[in-house]
Amino acid sequence: MRYEVVCGIETHIELATNTKIFCNCTTAFGGDPNTHCCPVCTGQPGSLPILNKKVVEYAVRAGLAVHCKINNISHMDRKNYVYPDLPKAYQISQYDEPICEHGYIDLDSGKRIGITRIHIEEDAGKLVHENGYTYVDYNRGGVPLIEIVSEPDISSPEEAKEYAEKLQLIMRYVGISDCKMQEGSMRCDVNVSLREAGTKEFGTRTETKNINSLNFIQKAMYAEIERQTDILEAGGTIVQETMRYDDVSDSVSPMREKENSDDYRYFPDPDIIRFEISQDKVEEIQGSLPELPFDKLERYITELQLPEGTAKQLFKYRRITEFFEEALAEGASIKNASNLITGTIYASMSTEEDKELFKVLISAKQFAALVKLLDEKKINVKMAQGTLQQMLESGKSAEEFIKAEDMEGISEADLTKLCEEAIAANPKAVEDVKAGKDKAINSMFGYIMKQTKGKADVKQAEAIIRELISKLS
Amino acid sequence: MAESVIIERRLKMAVTKIEIEKLAKLARLRFSDEELEKFAGEFDEIIAFADTINQSVEGGTDEIRSVGSQLISFEELREDEVIPSLPNEKIVSNVEDKDGFFSVRRSKK
Amino acid sequence: MREMISELSAKLHSGEMSSVELTKEYIKAIEEANPRINAYVHTTFDYALEGAEIADKLLKQGNASALCGIPMALKDNICTDGLLTTCCSKILDGFKPYYDAAVWEKLKAQGAVLLGKANMDEFAMGSTSESSCYGAPLNPRNLDHVTGGSSGGSAAAVCANMAAYALGSDTGGSVRQPASFCGIVGLKPTYGAVSRYGLIAYGSSLDQIGPLTYSVKDAAVVFDAIKGVDRRDQTSKAFDYSSILKSLNQDIKGKRIGVAEEFFEGIDPDMKTQIYEGIKLFEKNGAEIVNIKLPALKLALPVYYIIACAEASSNLGRYDGIRYGYRTDSYDSIDDMIYKTRSKGFGDEVKRRIMLGTYVLSSGYYDAYYKKAIVIREEINREFNDIFEKCDVLIAPTAPNTAFSLNFKGASPVEMYLSDICTVPINIAGIPSISVPCGKDAKGLPIGMQIIGKKFDEATILNMAYFYEQNSEDKVGIYEGGVRI
Repeated sequence: MRYEVVCGIETHIELATNTKIFCNCTTAFGGDPNTHCCPVCTGQPGSLPILNKKVVEYAVRAGLAVHCKINNISHMDRKNYVYPDLPKAYQISQYDEPICEHGYIDLDSGKRIGITRIHIEEDAGKLVHENGYTYVDYNRGGVPLIEIVSEPDISSPEEAKEYAEKLQLIMRYVGISDCKMQEGSMRCDVNVSLREAGTKEFGTRTETKNINSLNFIQKAMYAEIERQTDILEAGGTIVQETMRYDDVSDSVSPMREKENSDDYRYFPDPDIIRFEISQDKVEEIQGSLPELPFDKLERYITELQLPEGTAKQLFKYRRITEFFEEALAEGASIKNASNLITGTIYASMSTEEDKELFKVLISAKQFAALVKLLDEKKINVKMAQGTLQQMLESGKSAEEFIKAEDMEGISEADLTKLCEEAIAANPKAVEDVKAGKDKAINSMFGYIMKQTKGKADVKQAEAIIRELISKLS
Repeated sequence: MAESVIIERRLKMAVTKIEIEKLAKLARLRFSDEELEKFAGEFDEIIAFADTINQSVEGGTDEIRSVGSQLISFEELREDEVIPSLPNEKIVSNVEDKDGFFSVRRSKK
Repeated sequence: MREMISELSAKLHSGEMSSVELTKEYIKAIEEANPRINAYVHTTFDYALEGAEIADKLLKQGNASALCGIPMALKDNICTDGLLTTCCSKILDGFKPYYDAAVWEKLKAQGAVLLGKANMDEFAMGSTSESSCYGAPLNPRNLDHVTGGSSGGSAAAVCANMAAYALGSDTGGSVRQPASFCGIVGLKPTYGAVSRYGLIAYGSSLDQIGPLTYSVKDAAVVFDAIKGVDRRDQTSKAFDYSSILKSLNQDIKGKRIGVAEEFFEGIDPDMKTQIYEGIKLFEKNGAEIVNIKLPALKLALPVYYIIACAEASSNLGRYDGIRYGYRTDSYDSIDDMIYKTRSKGFGDEVKRRIMLGTYVLSSGYYDAYYKKAIVIREEINREFNDIFEKCDVLIAPTAPNTAFSLNFKGASPVEMYLSDICTVPINIAGIPSISVPCGKDAKGLPIGMQIIGKKFDEATILNMAYFYEQNSEDKVGIYEGGVRI
């Protein structure tokens, strides 16, 4: 391949505040047109913006989560352009004093993708074109956004997807947004340019928009790289333009809708006083951040010694990790707790959304109590799973379902006797096991389970059976 | 760089019609030929007046980024509390709306 | 004699007269004189009488304020729920806001009676009010002359006794200069002292709403009613203001009055003499005169126009016919609609300022103009700060001239801009200033004297103004027509 890919991603994230950035209208999704509006977010004459404290706080959280430097003094700028979805004919954004700068995200390969800046801005309204009319709804106008701009450090579609995926997880973790690409609360615009391998100068880049999922980031990039490669190889030049990705045809085409070659005439918004966030406050916010996801993943693997697969299944969902860690604090064992979560609990949750929201009827304490019974071998795995199922459905504690006699252990002597009986009753199976057909051992468990009403510890029984069989030869 | 821009303009002694048309586009204003003629003359004078900002400037640094040196602290910013929005009828009361949307015909003769 | 509000208030509180009766008097005066003077562009007589009835009820209850039941006018750029507010521009033709400006909310709560909206320069851009789409208001003192601007209608209404007081807005002198041209009092408060919520924006970092009245005491009463921080305007400041009226006094002994030659450059010698007489009055009574220098003053004009027009070009971008106001009825596309609406809806001066504003913000010119203007603005502020270490107030003319004659053909746009020299530096610095009548020229046209103070020190400038008013000869007097009680 003659060409090297240079890519940077601009991500817009809708902040999950209760109110819009400059007024007290709700940010709630939906609603009939223009019912979440007021003079401010519809740009009425005489209206003035009132900056929402939580927006600044969330922007700082986002910045700290990706290791940015927070600018203690910051201000807002007006970006002037005309379009019906922009009620004031300017968007209040940040131009030269963004609230966060110089951060990074590390990819699995160890490669560091720089984050140039994060700034605060307001969203525009929505246009509908129909029957020769244009209809405008400003419900979304004024919803707070942060824009995260990466350095052009990304070199492949895979890296792009990974960057976006990690960014999404981190931002969900710190609770500033649900970052759902399909719903538009996270939007990625991919800037791609090519240059001859080994050269330093940047080629002309294009911006690709309308990418609605992480997978499409990768696909859109492939499509655009192919398109640019074809042009360059034919001796042509790349035009700097905005492209639109169409996921149905998996292709990119130039987007002509918005003519944004405007001179935006940025200048500081005089209605919004420069604001200062003290270093103490920044540190307070830093202290309130949860353990970041990739730090947690690392810790689960190295300190808790969880297998990588299990750790990866757990760490993605912050609420689940909180549940898990609380159970551990209550004395549950790492192995059993993690297995029961990724096994039984996950089985009861059909969608990613379910796992994100993690609405379970039982508390971590109740869960821990069950896990401890298993840890102490008072019940076996099968019983634990079954009981957990019942607990999840009812919200009741383990003790409601496990009777005292269930918890009586089977003594080793009793179990050995049962194993001897099982062996005696299954001579063919014994021969099979001796011949190396390991699975044959399962038929003996059936007898033992029946006799013990399912309480026997399978592993223990297996060990005893094998020993007995080995003695038989 | 700023100085050379000013000197260059003074030498040219005119804000060209092209520049005015560019500005008019940004401002979404349209001038007829006569209006443009008249306006260009006035505008020239106005820019020359604005240029007097370059009379000996004492002091001043490049650090100042925004209007005034006032500062508001994070604590003084607005709380994130929902106040019920005004009813739709009021919001669209100054135009002919359609089902609560602001509506504009895409072309009209 | 000049203390309209106190006098009228006394009559209302004593029961000698009802607010309804008083309002009817004003309505009669307006119907009689307004066709000539054109101070009001939208009258709200029914609304006024409703307000007067409410006021009368409040008055009967016994704890009504001084402004209760007193009829007044609002400049046409101050939003009033359900009532026409058009900035005297075609582009806001028919616009009725569904919200009240903060200042109107406050006055309404005290039982103020709104007679109508006052004439003004379109979008507050101008110094004569002639750019109004409803035609210029005329100076009651001499109908061949302008009222000044941009709050010309407010000044004319108060001057001609068609309103007991009025609110105007001042971005570069628009309350003080018309007050001085019409021989009344005009106060521009400290930037941030009065909420701008509901004031249709022109120059956001410069605009302030202020009262126009016949007397200093009246100005104090109105200022007390409208001042205060407002959560809807983050530029408004929570300053600990106690009642200016309550503390109004004539203590000028030992006060240091700064006089800067730069303010007096090029003004009419007769004007200069009369203002200096005023300054001497202070000196004779114990104030100290300090000669000061304001070298950055000459830069204030270009700085003002660059900043104000930059902000205006952005503030006026929203007038596109989509959400309110005028919309052209024939166009090829929405973009075409926007071009046509704005080109037909805005007057020439507004277009000039939008273009200048666009120019100074555009890439390639931003650093040379806007950024430079901001830097110099800080310099001017520093100069004023230094001066207020040595002085308590400054005294200057309000304008370098008295009221121009109408259609002053000689004046190019720039010549008009230059006449703002005495007032714009005050807006740039965000400091308070009051204009009081201090004489008249050979034609009998009033001369105004400005008393300028440091931030949030309205008390001192009002006290100084009060002293002057009470101890000097009233050369201009009260207009003979209108409501005289």
